[in-house]
Amino acid sequence: MAGNWQPDFEQLVDEHQSMVFSLALRMTGDYGLAEEIAQDVFLELDRNLGKIETPLHALLWLRRVAMSRSADALRRRRVRGIDQWVEIDETHGARAEERSSPLADRVERLLATVPEPQRAALILRYQEDLTPEEIAATLGAPLATVKSHLQRGLKLLRAKAAIHLKEYVRGA
Amino acid sequence: MDLARMDDFERELQTALARRPAPPDLKHKIVGRRGQQTGRSRRMIWMERLAASLILAAVAGGAAFWRRQEEQRRGEEARQQVFTALRIANHALQQMNAQLAEHNRNTQ
Repeated sequence: MAGNWQPDFEQLVDEHQSMVFSLALRMTGDYGLAEEIAQDVFLELDRNLGKIETPLHALLWLRRVAMSRSADALRRRRVRGIDQWVEIDETHGARAEERSSPLADRVERLLATVPEPQRAALILRYQEDLTPEEIAATLGAPLATVKSHLQRGLKLLRAKAAIHLKEYVRGA
Repeated sequence: MDLARMDDFERELQTALARRPAPPDLKHKIVGRRGQQTGRSRRMIWMERLAASLILAAVAGGAAFWRRQEEQRRGEEARQQVFTALRIANHALQQMNAQLAEHNRNTQ
């Protein structure tokens, strides 16, 4: 059955553009760069469309390549000496309706201060709802490393949230 | 207590990290760039074919020219060999004539 599946490029863009864009945005923190990465990822998908066998394969491929291209973009930025995180609420031209809630914005900003490997694991865990095993497969990292990144990242994030998000906690 | 807070925090994190909608023109841009790349790759295919044809024509022309030159060189070489053989034969005949003339003179 899976062998009969014919990938429809535009349908795949419709289905997964939000995922790819969100991964790139949360990894880089730059709206414009995230859009560029998302375009590049889908064009790379187009070039590799013949190798995609099932809808699930397309999803996993896009997730893996989006994370990998985002990491590449961050690496290039570091080489050029540009600050890693651009204020996410500047949103670089994002329209008001595309912006998330103030609390979500602040959580995203806190997440941005977490080291990159831990951030990648947290994004895949809480945005994509992946298990540590699935995260390890996506990032091509050992399971123990991923578990450690998740634990440390979460601990760090919680400590930061305890300081910076007090008003939201009180208000809730 | 910690566990309860941790669960709450994780749930909060999950809500905050819900997927964001992609920019509305993202698909349009992707499809546009895809079209450009397809057009470019088609042009590249034609350019490659043209370049391959030119190279093939140049190689075939070069081979034909070389063969013709080689034939001419061999023809010239054969002609020179014939001339040399004729010169040798002529020289031998002249010597023979001279010897015959001397022999005639001696017998007279």
